[in-house]
Amino acid sequence: MSLVNFTTREITCKIVYYGPGRSGKTTNLQYVYSQVPADRKGRMVSLATQTDRTLFFDFLPLDLGTISGFATKFQLYTVPGQVYYNATRKLVLQGADGVVFVADSQVRQLDENIESLQNLQANILEQGVDARTLPMVLQFNKQDLPRELILSPEELDEALNFRGLQTFPADALHGVGVFETLKGVAADVLRRLSQGGVGARRV
Amino acid sequence: MTTTVVEPWAEQPLLRYVAESGARLVVLMTPAGQVLAQHGFVRAVDLMAASALGAAIVAASGALAEQVGERSFGALFHAGERHGIHLASCATPRGALIVLTVFGKETSIGLVDLFYDEFAAALRRAAPAEQLREPVLAEDFEADLNRSLSTLFQR
Repeated sequence: MSLVNFTTREITCKIVYYGPGRSGKTTNLQYVYSQVPADRKGRMVSLATQTDRTLFFDFLPLDLGTISGFATKFQLYTVPGQVYYNATRKLVLQGADGVVFVADSQVRQLDENIESLQNLQANILEQGVDARTLPMVLQFNKQDLPRELILSPEELDEALNFRGLQTFPADALHGVGVFETLKGVAADVLRRLSQGGVGARRV
Repeated sequence: MTTTVVEPWAEQPLLRYVAESGARLVVLMTPAGQVLAQHGFVRAVDLMAASALGAAIVAASGALAEQVGERSFGALFHAGERHGIHLASCATPRGALIVLTVFGKETSIGLVDLFYDEFAAALRRAAPAEQLREPVLAEDFEADLNRSLSTLFQR
């Protein structure tokens, strides 16, 4: 749940990038890290294997500046996408205020996307949270690959977006759509604070 | 040394713990890594990284305890050349909270652990139950958000 300090007028929110292995979650954070001025970001922490696959999480603290008179900070996390790291995915998902689901647009990855999305729903539910009330956006990454290898945003929307969430086509490696995705989820999370929500509804 | 608190009830117990234990840095946080109070950090972003890692260690060791049939492993500590860390969680009316303490050669793990127990008891006494929250941001926050993100990404 977002932390609000009324004395110093500060807000801190936790955003988790979720999705199947190699869909580009870490790439999203690396791009954000590369674009943000040094005084507005902390060190990017990556707990990865020797082959640079995420083992536990990547973490990037961002200082967004002042919003409605509150100094607003975001903690961006990724989870390990590989199927056998579900225990660590659950730990990272704890207390998330918003989720970015990074889907891999490649045709051959469709089943992995669906499996990861189902895994996300199950892990959210296991924490006693109603997934329908958790702010979430979908990013269709790798849209830069040849057309014959990928599904279009419309096809991915049809296959994955049963909640009617905001979607963002992206090429995270080159930064396309990264900013828009972060903005989309940030707005959803902050909108909840403007409505007086205490975070996602518990079931 | 700076002390900042997000929730005022934590301030007095924290100040007392810092004074008694001789700790250099202390972070009181939720299991999700959100900071409720801290002593000694200068940059907020460094504090967030330390709390994210502290919360992760506690979460991972808790999950490991469950795997081997233990309820929890209690406090964890690591001793380094110049610094040691003590990491523990305690149940309070505010929910479970985690305390990360970084200490130097001027104190010892024994003293830190001793005063941590008193700190945890003080937190249990002082912490209020979680309460529903009133609307925080103005409804027209989106213009501010757009401006902040544009500045952040230098667009």
